[in-house]
Amino acid sequence: MNKPFDPAVRDFLDGRIWLRQHTPFSVEKINEHIESGMVETTPGVKMKKGLFGQPSCKCVRCENVDPQLFTSFDCLQCEGPCAYCRNCLQMGRVSVCTELIVWKGPCTEYPTEHALAWEGTLTKRQKQASKELYESIVRARPHLIHAVCGSGKTEILFEPIHKLLLAGKRVCIAAPRVDVILELEPRLRAAFPSTKLEALYGGADVQAFDAQLILATTHQLYRFRHAFDAIFVDEADAFPYTAEKTLQHAVRKAAKPDAPIHFVTATPSDKLLTDIKKTGAVSTIYRRYHGHPLPGPRYESLWNYSKQLSKGKMPKALEKWIQQRLELSEPFLVFFHEIELMMKAEQAIRQLDDRIRAVHSAHPDRKQHVQDLRAGKIPGLLTTTILERGITIKNIQVAVVGAEQSLFDAGALVQIGGRVGRNVNHPSGDFVLFHNGISYAMDQARREIKRLNAGGDQP
Amino acid sequence: MNPCLLCMKPISEVASWQSFFGIEKKKTLCDDCSKRFVRADIKEEGDVLDAVHSLYEYDEAMRDWLHQYKFLQDVALAQVFSNELRRAFSNKDTIVPIPMHPERARNRTFAHVETLLDGAKRPYVQLLTKTNTTVMGEKSRHERLNMGQLFELVPGAVVQPITYRLVDDIYTTGTTLRRAATVLKQAGAARVEAVTLIRSIQK
Ligand SMILES: [Zn+2]
Ligand SMILES: [Zn+2]
Ligand SMILES: [Zn+2]
Repeated sequence: MNKPFDPAVRDFLDGRIWLRQHTPFSVEKINEHIESGMVETTPGVKMKKGLFGQPSCKCVRCENVDPQLFTSFDCLQCEGPCAYCRNCLQMGRVSVCTELIVWKGPCTEYPTEHALAWEGTLTKRQKQASKELYESIVRARPHLIHAVCGSGKTEILFEPIHKLLLAGKRVCIAAPRVDVILELEPRLRAAFPSTKLEALYGGADVQAFDAQLILATTHQLYRFRHAFDAIFVDEADAFPYTAEKTLQHAVRKAAKPDAPIHFVTATPSDKLLTDIKKTGAVSTIYRRYHGHPLPGPRYESLWNYSKQLSKGKMPKALEKWIQQRLELSEPFLVFFHEIELMMKAEQAIRQLDDRIRAVHSAHPDRKQHVQDLRAGKIPGLLTTTILERGITIKNIQVAVVGAEQSLFDAGALVQIGGRVGRNVNHPSGDFVLFHNGISYAMDQARREIKRLNAGGDQP
Repeated sequence: MNPCLLCMKPISEVASWQSFFGIEKKKTLCDDCSKRFVRADIKEEGDVLDAVHSLYEYDEAMRDWLHQYKFLQDVALAQVFSNELRRAFSNKDTIVPIPMHPERARNRTFAHVETLLDGAKRPYVQLLTKTNTTVMGEKSRHERLNMGQLFELVPGAVVQPITYRLVDDIYTTGTTLRRAATVLKQAGAARVEAVTLIRSIQK
């Protein structure tokens, strides 16, 4: 009855759904495991003829069914009409004639000894939330931690995660943005020094096959299936998680069928709030861990900034603001709504200090620049909304150029403002919205911050 | 409405008379993504290869496109340049795509140059076959120059004393195109020109 198998193959494939041709193992080894029934194959895309003869497709890896995200073509491999999924293309193309593999043998058993090395203390409210979260875990119901920026959300998770690990459970923290994962990784490694942990994002290869604690961008979850006993989605409302339905499917699919999915965010969408209230529980924290209020936004007009910056001219008020930061040696972030404008502004702004840099999602050095800002090697960064959340820099001062732009909705502005005053020694700071006319979202954000500071009474 | 093929954002489309009469294909990219591609229209003349017209320079945007099209096998991206590619030819042109080795084509699941021409709705004749599977980029300049024949005529192909227009995705050293042109000329072609989507400038 006990068929032999390679434990490394089990550790790698258990909980994953993978391209047959692209595993870390030899073709022969995978074939052996398929023959012995330990590994099962499935077509990558299932194509059915619809009611009127038009094909309808489903991607088995990412569960995409949107007809706009499939491309049909005459395939030279299977020598006929074929289709592939464009939704999860970046993880290696999956088509009708692509084979995916899943593990069918005995499951990996995870260690039950884990250290929790975090030595900080939780505030009363944090402790309460942590307890409530664990209760939801025990009851297998979804839980939302709705906590203002800088309230120490991650620390709330430590104790419940530790208990899960001690029970031999596999745990995932997922975030829509890679920057959030990069920020979390060192903190979790320090907190769980004896736990096998892996951070998965971008093109990184799987190194620790049997990692028990996984940090992953939500995209990476496409390649998991029924893997986790609990998933915590950090910054659940961040693009593109709310924008893409398939990503939500991916999170669901990555969890074991009965495992609950928990959410942690400062700015939950109305939908998430109502959904969770139906089936789960919510813990709310209105105070930052250091007890100081959230800095409210300050409005400052910057008329025709777009025209001026495009001509390479520095708008006076912006110049003055950056000058002040430089004189006071305060690190700063300036947010822009589009890359093009930011790049034009960069040239003008670097006249003030040539060490200033600009980062955006496709920037090759963005990780390095953020580290340099944190280390004080560069005085400030210009950024698109990629740095709107997850990033913590001591004494950071924040400006938004073009705060009235529709990209800056109230949630985004609250998150951006949430970068300011996170450190106990620097609990306040400047949060200025440079605008060409005040938008509804700006006022909404201001009201929301006021409401949170007042203790979260209904608006 | 279809999303942008590159960034997946919805495309805002203003109907033009070209699209109304079905002359131009619908936009495949959003304005932001299409702005990244800048036409270069590099034209050169030579002897074996009488003329080469390259539509775009090899820049960051093109590198990303080529990577996604060829290596991530995103067949849909053949549509991105279909209008531009179609306009690079006239109805009278006899078009010959640079072939892939059949085994490599099977592995890629599509022949990338032919798929580009299919997207551009330009008919072509396949007069050449590839005789080995080596990739140009893997060879040193010395090896490349001393390689045996790279292409031969398809059995039974008839080459006439007319102008042929070869098509390839990228022009790097020109070796590939010159070898293909040599085969066609030896078989009786009067003139061989080439169109490539991209021109990689050697530094
Ligand atoms: Zn897919
Ligand atoms: Zn196929
Ligand atoms: Zn686009």
